[in-house]
Amino acid sequence: MPSPIDLADVPFLREALVEVLLLGVAGGLLSAWIVLRRLAFFTHAVGSATFPGLVVADASGVSPLLAGVAVALGYAGGVERAGRAGREPSEATALLLVAALAGGVVLASDVFESGAAVDRLLFGTLLGLGPGDLALSAAIVALAAAASLTLGRAWSAIAFDPDGAPALGLPAARADFLLLALVAVAAVAAIPAVGAILVAAIYVLPGAAARLVTRTIPALLACAVVLGLAEGVLGLYAAYWLDLPPGPPVAVLGALTYAVLALGTR
Amino acid sequence: MSGIELRATIELVLAGGFCGALGFWVLSERLAYAGESLSHGMLPGLVLAALAGAPLLLGAAGGALAAAGLIALAARDTRVGPDTGTAVAVTGLVGLGSLLALAPDAPQRLGELLFGDPLGVSDGDLAAAAALVLAGGGALAALRRPLAATAFDPAGASSLGFSPALVRLTLLGLMAAAIAIAVQGLGALLVLAALVGPPVAVRRHVRTPGEAMLAGAAVAAAAGAAGVQLSAHAGSAAGASVALVLCAAAGLGAALPARGLG
Amino acid sequence: MNAPAVVTDALSAGYGGRPVLTDVSFAAAPGQTVCVLGPNGGGKTTLFRALIGELEPLAGSVTLSGRPAYVAQTERTRLDFPVSAFDVALMGALVRGRWWLPPRRSDRVAARAALERVGLGAEADTAFGELSGGQRQRALLARALVQDSPVLLLDEPLAGVDPASAQQIDAVFAELRAEGRTLLVSSHDVEGARGFDLVLCLNRRQVAFGPPGAALDRATIEATYGRELIVLDEAGAGRAVTVQHHDHGHSES
Repeated sequence: MPSPIDLADVPFLREALVEVLLLGVAGGLLSAWIVLRRLAFFTHAVGSATFPGLVVADASGVSPLLAGVAVALGYAGGVERAGRAGREPSEATALLLVAALAGGVVLASDVFESGAAVDRLLFGTLLGLGPGDLALSAAIVALAAAASLTLGRAWSAIAFDPDGAPALGLPAARADFLLLALVAVAAVAAIPAVGAILVAAIYVLPGAAARLVTRTIPALLACAVVLGLAEGVLGLYAAYWLDLPPGPPVAVLGALTYAVLALGTR
Repeated sequence: MSGIELRATIELVLAGGFCGALGFWVLSERLAYAGESLSHGMLPGLVLAALAGAPLLLGAAGGALAAAGLIALAARDTRVGPDTGTAVAVTGLVGLGSLLALAPDAPQRLGELLFGDPLGVSDGDLAAAAALVLAGGGALAALRRPLAATAFDPAGASSLGFSPALVRLTLLGLMAAAIAIAVQGLGALLVLAALVGPPVAVRRHVRTPGEAMLAGAAVAAAAGAAGVQLSAHAGSAAGASVALVLCAAAGLGAALPARGLG
Repeated sequence: MNAPAVVTDALSAGYGGRPVLTDVSFAAAPGQTVCVLGPNGGGKTTLFRALIGELEPLAGSVTLSGRPAYVAQTERTRLDFPVSAFDVALMGALVRGRWWLPPRRSDRVAARAALERVGLGAEADTAFGELSGGQRQRALLARALVQDSPVLLLDEPLAGVDPASAQQIDAVFAELRAEGRTLLVSSHDVEGARGFDLVLCLNRRQVAFGPPGAALDRATIEATYGRELIVLDEAGAGRAVTVQHHDHGHSES
């Protein structure tokens, strides 16, 4: 077993460590709201929807983060307009996501012949996390913290009664869209580390587990951050030790944590 | 057409046809999201079968069973809600499956398990698919009237002597079987297209459940054949090509002016 | 009295182990009509679901002379489901067993006859979703007729139905009575209830049961409807109307 100190010593791992720490905080904060507002599917979907865009950007030298954010915000806008945030996905959404994944695969393996990129984009990578990725993640942390403080009350009200929210007035509707937009951009920030189809490991699992053992929203936020940090760091270590991309171990740890807490609090 | 292409086409026509027919009921009972969760969640089963050298169908069936059980357990928690519970279970299962598949000494087959490998189908796979499609198709034909009565009016169906819960459970079982058969050709991430695409394509143009099932099967079969040809001529991944044709068919069918119902 | 067609004895029913309706005891003989009154959420639909066997009783018992036919409100059916009026009527034949076989010729004849009886003979091949509200209600009634059951449960069958359809439905009710069948009709129409043989007032429990003359007094109506009541004509016969709500979306899980 490699020494855990390596995570801070080895240069590329240091960046990866900073990234998972940042994502742990952002993921903790946002996953609390995502679980309350029932946006688990939306979170997963927005990650998958960006996949073809990322393939094209990756191959053509455009900044993948930019491309990803553009697609993600577009998807968030579509969901908001259709009024489907927090609802079970429609058949159209399910087919759209399949088309996105299939399209990405065809582009990657046959058009751009960048087949190796597929694994990286789908499950993340320990290597090659650059300053741009870290900067975006740091920005997400700042935005998530600021938004939780200012919009938290509105978000709670909407989560409590999504259909009655428009009646609360225009600020509530705008606050809802801001949450969707923030989640969308945050999901893109997590893709370099954990991959497009496992963003829920960062943005759903910590909040879900925390929800089982807390009773107030401040406690939920704090507990989710703690869980997000722990799962991220341990997952990173496991990835380094077992020579895997980080996404799968973080996902498995998050699910196991949830299972243990669910069984323990029955 | 080469032998490989022919086998791939037959596999996709059979498996797709069954999914296309069953898909009408999947939509009517609003089971599309359950189907997506099931197909993604069966990944560990597929990977274990691939690692053990066992037939994929076995891994798919076992994986589906395990996934269904875990998802049902996770979805029961009222604090986070069924959709969040399902997301936790599916994310964990996909993580576990990819973890097992990406371990350094594992044979690198994850791409095929995720996105399908119709060109790698063996004669044994074909025979198994044919037998299951026959059995499943027979079950659908026999269950046609109770399925219609339950989908149309569950309370009325109760008064006619049926249990809507039992009908729904049977449908879930058939869906798991359909996914298990079709995952060879389309992979865990894309197989939903065969289940949801054809009924979406035909639903505004049919007048009876029987028409919906036959038309769905026909669309799926045609998409399978077309996808293989597209893949052969454009050099694109076979499973993904079929999935794209299925999605395109759905879009086309939804956009065309409706025939039967207003 | 003949052997009763429907009997409940201290029946309690509800969802998830919690009762929403308790202690219902009544009996109706063949050929009798029972009006089931009560506010929304008062248990009328719960009672029907327990009678058709969709809900297991939490306490007490249900005895029926045969499997009852259920005519729900059309809001509970799928308007986009691809079936014609004839297909709907034909579903009633499923009670006769052998559901895995295609319908028999006698079943098809019965379905056509039932559609004629409710005045939908010309609309047999029209898609259910394209029928008007009153026509849809009549199609569901035709399904119940094909079921040929000694007991029929009808959930607000005249709600939102056009006068012509309502007349047709009333005529069929009279025929069914004459045939010796028992009808349980849930309704919000307190005045209309006086035309029935028996009334059963429910408000999460049984408030009253009996012939309307005796059972439908002021105290009973108030206990049943509580704040939903608007009383007209205070000094005279005490005629009352209830406030109607149509929010059926949230009741069942």
